[in-house]
Amino acid sequence: MIVELLAFLMIFPLVVAAILLVVRSNGARKVIVGGSALVIAVASLALVALYLGEGRVEFAFSSEALSLACAAVDVALCAIVIGYAVRYKNVLAGVLAVVMIALVLAFEAFFAHGIEVEYGFYLDSLTLLMVAVIGVVGSGICVYALGYMEDFQAHEPEGAKDRRPLFFALMFLFLSAMYLIVFSDNMAWLLTGWEVTTVCSFLLIGYTKTDEAIRNSFRQIIMNMIGGIAFVLALFYTTGSLGILSLEEFVTVGNAFPAVAALPAVLLALAGITKAAQMPFHTWLLGAMVAPTPTSALLHSSTMVKAGVFLLLKLAPVFAVSLVPSVMVVLVGGVTFLLCSFMAISQSNAKRVLAYSTIANLGLITACAGVGTPEAIWAGMFLLLFHAVAKSLLFLCVGTAEHHIGSRDIEDMDLLFERMPRLARLMMLGIMCMFIAPFGMLVAKWATLVTFVNTGQVALILLLAFGSAATFMFWAKWLGKLAGIASGAENVEGTVHRSEWIATGVMAALIILCCVGMPVISWMIVEPYVYSVYGTFAQDISNGNLWMAAIMCAFIAIVLFASLGGQGKARRVDVYLAGVTAEQGTRRFINSLSGTSDATARNWYMESAFGEKTIRPVGEVCCSVIIVIALAAACAGMLGLGL
Amino acid sequence: MSYATKSPWVIHYDASSCNGCDIEVLAALCPGYDVERFGIINTGNPKHADIFLVTGSVNERNIHVVKEIYDQMLEPKVVIACGICACSGGIFHDCYNVIGGVDQAIPVDVYAPGCAVRPEAIIDAVVQGLGILEEKAKALDAKKKEGE
Amino acid sequence: MYGFETVAVTIVATLVFAVLAPIVGCLLAGLDRKISARMQGRVGPPLLQPYYDVRKLMGKENASVNGSEGVYVTCAFVFTLLAGGVFFAGGNLLLSVFLITLSALFFIMAAYCTRSPYAEVGAARETLQVMSYEPMVLLMAVGYFIAAGTFDTAGVFSLDAPVVCTIWGVLIGFLFVLTIKLRKSPFDISMSHHAHQEIVRGVTTEMSGPTLAKVEVMHWCENVLFLAWTALFFVWGNPISLVVAVVVALLVYFLEIFIDNNFARVKWQAMLKGAWIVALVFGGVNIAVLAFI
Repeated sequence: MIVELLAFLMIFPLVVAAILLVVRSNGARKVIVGGSALVIAVASLALVALYLGEGRVEFAFSSEALSLACAAVDVALCAIVIGYAVRYKNVLAGVLAVVMIALVLAFEAFFAHGIEVEYGFYLDSLTLLMVAVIGVVGSGICVYALGYMEDFQAHEPEGAKDRRPLFFALMFLFLSAMYLIVFSDNMAWLLTGWEVTTVCSFLLIGYTKTDEAIRNSFRQIIMNMIGGIAFVLALFYTTGSLGILSLEEFVTVGNAFPAVAALPAVLLALAGITKAAQMPFHTWLLGAMVAPTPTSALLHSSTMVKAGVFLLLKLAPVFAVSLVPSVMVVLVGGVTFLLCSFMAISQSNAKRVLAYSTIANLGLITACAGVGTPEAIWAGMFLLLFHAVAKSLLFLCVGTAEHHIGSRDIEDMDLLFERMPRLARLMMLGIMCMFIAPFGMLVAKWATLVTFVNTGQVALILLLAFGSAATFMFWAKWLGKLAGIASGAENVEGTVHRSEWIATGVMAALIILCCVGMPVISWMIVEPYVYSVYGTFAQDISNGNLWMAAIMCAFIAIVLFASLGGQGKARRVDVYLAGVTAEQGTRRFINSLSGTSDATARNWYMESAFGEKTIRPVGEVCCSVIIVIALAAACAGMLGLGL
Repeated sequence: MSYATKSPWVIHYDASSCNGCDIEVLAALCPGYDVERFGIINTGNPKHADIFLVTGSVNERNIHVVKEIYDQMLEPKVVIACGICACSGGIFHDCYNVIGGVDQAIPVDVYAPGCAVRPEAIIDAVVQGLGILEEKAKALDAKKKEGE
Repeated sequence: MYGFETVAVTIVATLVFAVLAPIVGCLLAGLDRKISARMQGRVGPPLLQPYYDVRKLMGKENASVNGSEGVYVTCAFVFTLLAGGVFFAGGNLLLSVFLITLSALFFIMAAYCTRSPYAEVGAARETLQVMSYEPMVLLMAVGYFIAAGTFDTAGVFSLDAPVVCTIWGVLIGFLFVLTIKLRKSPFDISMSHHAHQEIVRGVTTEMSGPTLAKVEVMHWCENVLFLAWTALFFVWGNPISLVVAVVVALLVYFLEIFIDNNFARVKWQAMLKGAWIVALVFGGVNIAVLAFI
């Protein structure tokens, strides 16, 4: 029964994707996408419900045919990339794809044979968490895309080709690949899922085919190809010298013999870092914004980057004992968190702020994985969960706002509280969940801080302290922009598609549920995983404090949706303008020439202190140096071992 | 005594004063007179103030400002005209642009004449104003209770 | 076991804090005005002047720019009380810190929601102030953990020596940002308790009458809590230490008043740089030394 469910989750989206590719009617597509999203969500939740609280469960499954098919898919994906590289004359992408093909073929021919992974698929609580995120958040985004893409197509120039079938097919293919990644214990299969997500996002980013989109999609593919190549090289090593192709086995061996696993751990970590868009590879995720918003939501919240941190969290027991990969992951994650939080201050483009915040938070998860203690994993898993739900809500809200106010600039979101009352509140909920106590993300950050203190990671404590302060700055000023209220603003919310309301409503409900139910989630999902890996329970925050946070979350949610924006009993007065107000309810005043002027205010961006120009090179150089040194140290360690 | 009289916060507006009275108003806040002894604070914000001190006469231009400041003050509130110009227009009463005393724009509760008005006179006027403030506060209280 | 008793204790402590903190805070505020007046060669208002002010504000007409600012201010007030409750219930110091940040956020949003130009400038500056002091406050909690072995404030009573013996660097850093948190000159850039300033009254420009009264009481409670954070450095197993801690807290308060009366306001760049450098040098180095020994 369970195996069937696993297979269903991996194959069903694939089938849907194939059908969507040929369906051209908009009405039919709506039914198919809506229905199958519901099916996937229900099946995912059913799987979670069935296996809740159980330890690790493995399924005896090995198939030569599947392995060959995976290799074939790998090659086919590279062929697609080569095709695009030739068409758009991008030499580097082409070369990397050719190298990748050669490596995959070599791997199949010389390394993979004779190594059986007896238990090809498995389930544990981390997988369940990912399944829930992919199933609910991922398919929710697909539903949202229905309405969004209709508007998007309407904004396209006359006669533009309707490429939506491909778009939706890719979205579902993405989900299928994610399931493959989280279920596979066979690293060769995992690699296939990994590569499918890489190429899918390549195609999605380049969806609009504008010069910018093509440029950014190639940047994405080049960076992730590097990660893919690192992944294959790691497999060469694990199969060639250790005779291991199972992820679980690798983690166990790595935990027992840190020295032998250092090099492959560094390589796998590199793959995870590229996928999780850590510095110096963060630019691909920034570039991904050119894609339609559902793509960004999918990449940022439930898939793609989450695959990266998923792998890192899986490898955490290795990092816990192995110095070189641990230091690399911890420092890259920590530095990325700090610097990307800084750069987010200087951005006024909402999607760019979200992108930087994603990268920063992934950095935090990465750092947690690098620390590798049970407590760190507890924090990392919660960061992953809350980031997924909050960030997807935010992207969806920004996407909808963009279609209705014609801008994604935060400055243009002035008065959104009046113009789009429901959407603004949803957005505010998402923002609060990202950075402030008592919401989940901050409670997880709190646990992170405690972990860093317990393990004596002074550098990380400082990075976290200053990074969090920056986080407060850029979220609070955005929140302030949204909160502004003035009478007489026109409500433009009427034309929002129902599918968009459904998706954003589901995400908001999820946020509140997850925040209020945090102690329960800890008990049912996160603790069992920590126990299954480390054999101990670990929770840095007492249940009492978790419950307190839960109560406060409920309180704030009620305030946000029930009490704000009411009229109250107080007499209405105008704001003080230190002169004569020209028009009631506005900030227009009589100026010194007896004309009228408007008082305007922009948020602070502090370009000189936190601008991209100053900070980006620092981060790129720092992180590149860290990675190069770690690689060199790991290689040297291997040589030392060989001698 | 109600609390309204124990913490009278003032806002000072220079309508078209020659600055003579303004300096005296500020002098009242300085160590020599130290009106903070009585809880008096000079706020720059009509929304926080209980007592409106106006210096200088009202003219065509600033009458709107005087009115707006008065409107933005919350009940109970008291207006004190400081100096002869604020009381009646003073030596500027027949200038082409001058309308006259502050009472041409808003209801004035206490007149404190003088050119320039002496700090003692200002303090005296404020103390008189407190009596009026007290009455107004009581009236407001009664109205509030009635409302309930 | 499930932690519900923590919740109950915290709620009780919050209620007690809600009653006692305004009384103490009010007296402290009165003392502040009295001492400031004496420093300026004036007599100053009665000790209970802050109380009179608040009572007067409560009696004023109820008016506001919109219906939401009062809600935000109430939230800010509630979370300040809760932060105090967590602290005095012997609870988690970090949680207390986070709740104060939450309270600051609601206060900022109360200002933003009015869309008053002056309040908006004040709110932007307030945000910057939070960003300035936040690292050092977090490091204060971390330092406390390293010195006391727990984040729970109740843990001080089992110590043999006050934590200040090991984290005096952190204390210095914390005292620096305390000036920002107490909104004292030279760091009163978002709103000032002194007469005129270029942005009217900054954050509180649009808050009037009963709402402003709430803000005032909230600040009293905040001040009490911040001084209690400072006092925490000086408490150990010996009951006499509580007296020592109170005396030290009062001395620190006097120091803040002295600073308030003797420094002109700085620009935000100086505040941000100063606070962060102090956090890095005093907090960071102190913690690093402790971690590596």
